[in-house]
Amino acid sequence: MNPVAAPRASGLALEMENLGYRYAGAEVPALEGIDLTIEPGEFIVLAGGSGSGKTSLLRAGCGLIPHFHGGEISGSARVAGRSITDCGPGELADVVGYVAQDPETQIVSTTVAAELDLPLRFRGDHPAERARAVEEVALALGIPHLLPRTVTTLSGGELQRVALAVALVTRPPLILLDEPTSQLDPVSGDELIWLLRRLNEEWGVAVLLAEHRLERCLAAADRVVAMDAGRIGFDGSPRDFLGWAIESRPELATPSALMFAGAGIEPLPVGVRDARRILRDRDVHSGGPLESQGPQVSPGSESTPVLESSRLWVELDPGEGPVDVLRGIDLEIRAGEKVALMGRNGAGKSTLLRAAAGLVDPVSGRIETPGGIALLTQNPGDFLVRERVGDELSGAEGEAALRAVGLDVSADRDPRDLSGGERQRLALAIALAGRMEGEELPGLIGLDEPTRGMDRGLKSHLTELADRLALRSAAVLISTHDVEFAVTFADRVILLGDGEVIADADTATVLSGGWYFASEAARVFDRPGLVSIEQGIALLREVER
Amino acid sequence: MKKLSPIAFVPRRETVQTASLAPVALYLGAYLLVCFFSSDPMVLIAATAGAAIAGYGCGAKRAVNFSLKLGGFLALTMIIVNALVTSRGATVLARLGDWPLLGRVDVTAEAIAAGGVIGLRAMGTMVVIGVWSACVDPDRILQAVHGVARRSALTATLISRLVPLAATDYARIGEAASLRGPGASPVGRGAMAHRLLAGSLDRAVDVAATLELRGYGSSGASARFRPVPSRFDRRFWLAGAGLMAAALAELLAGSGRFETYPEIAYGIGLEGPLVAVAFLVGGFVTWRRGGR
Repeated sequence: MNPVAAPRASGLALEMENLGYRYAGAEVPALEGIDLTIEPGEFIVLAGGSGSGKTSLLRAGCGLIPHFHGGEISGSARVAGRSITDCGPGELADVVGYVAQDPETQIVSTTVAAELDLPLRFRGDHPAERARAVEEVALALGIPHLLPRTVTTLSGGELQRVALAVALVTRPPLILLDEPTSQLDPVSGDELIWLLRRLNEEWGVAVLLAEHRLERCLAAADRVVAMDAGRIGFDGSPRDFLGWAIESRPELATPSALMFAGAGIEPLPVGVRDARRILRDRDVHSGGPLESQGPQVSPGSESTPVLESSRLWVELDPGEGPVDVLRGIDLEIRAGEKVALMGRNGAGKSTLLRAAAGLVDPVSGRIETPGGIALLTQNPGDFLVRERVGDELSGAEGEAALRAVGLDVSADRDPRDLSGGERQRLALAIALAGRMEGEELPGLIGLDEPTRGMDRGLKSHLTELADRLALRSAAVLISTHDVEFAVTFADRVILLGDGEVIADADTATVLSGGWYFASEAARVFDRPGLVSIEQGIALLREVER
Repeated sequence: MKKLSPIAFVPRRETVQTASLAPVALYLGAYLLVCFFSSDPMVLIAATAGAAIAGYGCGAKRAVNFSLKLGGFLALTMIIVNALVTSRGATVLARLGDWPLLGRVDVTAEAIAAGGVIGLRAMGTMVVIGVWSACVDPDRILQAVHGVARRSALTATLISRLVPLAATDYARIGEAASLRGPGASPVGRGAMAHRLLAGSLDRAVDVAATLELRGYGSSGASARFRPVPSRFDRRFWLAGAGLMAAALAELLAGSGRFETYPEIAYGIGLEGPLVAVAFLVGGFVTWRRGGR
């Protein structure tokens, strides 16, 4: 008998009572005293810093904990009435869907159609039911055109949509998502969040969404649960959460909330629309340039060029014929500049960095880095191949590189035991070693999407590192999807669109001139040149006076 | 931008891709059999050409070209190696004196011919596998296997997914190795292999977890695999049966037709050319009327 044809247990979508969990061999519990209930149809955002227990809680919600990860579990958890200790992930598959951070490891079939069909086939559904379920979920997520495609040809955004569709194809009453937007550009990220909200409203599916960039999803949420060292630190409405975050965990507060709290304005806004409404009610109008804020002057405008490209064309062949990825790029970056390279997925950001490092050859035009380049690719772990820091880097050149990135760890440490930020610094030191003349850095240091999956604390460490390198006259070029990070780190933003430079100016000009590639402050105030939280606070204080 | 492997499966509305698994397996299996076991160069060349024609006919041009290049390189390597390490044969073409490790090296026409036969087998086999890989949906194979051997299907799924993931990891780690500063310790093969293995195990855990979440371990009975019939099935059944009969006949009657030692001897009769023509013409079975 088809087990899902049987009526599902009614009641709560998820119920956890005093749940505790410790991974096998771990000294500290990952979860402790978790009491959480999720009603059918609720949309809940799960907040918290890196390592706070968000992923463990989601894993417990779908049965991977304890069945797949082992360890010790205490208390109880039920999904749609089924106990996670009695039922494994396979038996919970029809009542809970799970979408992880990395879409590549979530796909096991060759084509999208086969991938969507797989859970239904495992469930034993009739072919006609399967065909209809696949068609409907594809339509709901706007991916029917992807059905015949092979998964290897999909972009990151498309893969994440397919992973979401697979999680939803059995129509589970609950779906758990672990930072699904971390690898997506702002456009695709926003689309995914609102797609979830639409499915939540139309299908009634309860959503538990773990996210770092809360400004992106708070407005869609009914409730926020904040994790803190394996415990629930807060559970309440988004507006109350912002009040709690400002008081207790400011790094979790959204830019709008930080601006309003900084200016002493209440209530704190849940999203851009809410912020604008509150400002309208207080008779604060947007529009018009900021008198006190002119365009920022790049600190490197008088220094020597470290990257020069002229009419640069790069062609890549993904397997179905060559494609122009970069189209006639003219660019100059000077020593000491901090530049954010932005653009949607597939715009050519990584290819530009790879061309600068000589990993891909131009088909036409030129690109040069007169002072040399050190490039850190997307996954710092790829640079770490040995079991001792001292085996990765040794001698005077290694020590100089470690000093340059400000990393002071024992040579006997295993790189895998370092924190995420330390691993990133070690990988950068590996890229720098031997490329420095004494203590002098190479002219250009490139980092390809280093903020993926980082919480705000780690991002601020990265900003400090970029400042440190730029002060020593290196230009720092970081490709990123994170607009708020770009505001804090960069003094110049280059925006790519379909392989062309579509904007290249100081950060305040570029990130206040659009909607998707704009900071939250820019979206709230819509004033040219206003992009940062500090600028927003200053303006609010001025108009409140 | 991801680069697709030349032999990766690409869904197309062509004959091999849309036909059922069994008749296609029979058809391409006949080519594989003859390429693997025949020792007649004429039959091997014809079968390789036929497999290439079959691949071109169903849109697998990249896979065929890639397999031909790789197979050609392998064939050349085998000819050279065999010529150097085997001094058997009566027709000495060159006496190269004493070499370290190899000793006395005499290059004979017979050793070159024997190497050529092995090389042709390798090239033909690679072309058939390339066409199979580019045109037969692995999901359909796994679905077919799942019904009869569930645990093997899990293993096969893990392997089929891990191979491209390991290839991606290898490319990424290789790229990172090329970006290491000259002052960092170089990445040796051992360290690279160790890193890849550790990464593959992590990936295997992730993929296995995904399968669990899809409902793999559920107690419900999985739906039985029911192949969707295609209008091309009959064509492949008939051609496959004919070619398989020809392949079996070649294996039974063809041995000894071409001998390399002590001297090259080729007993050309009627059956060799007939089998060769059958496999050459059989390649056009994948072509559609008015097609490429």
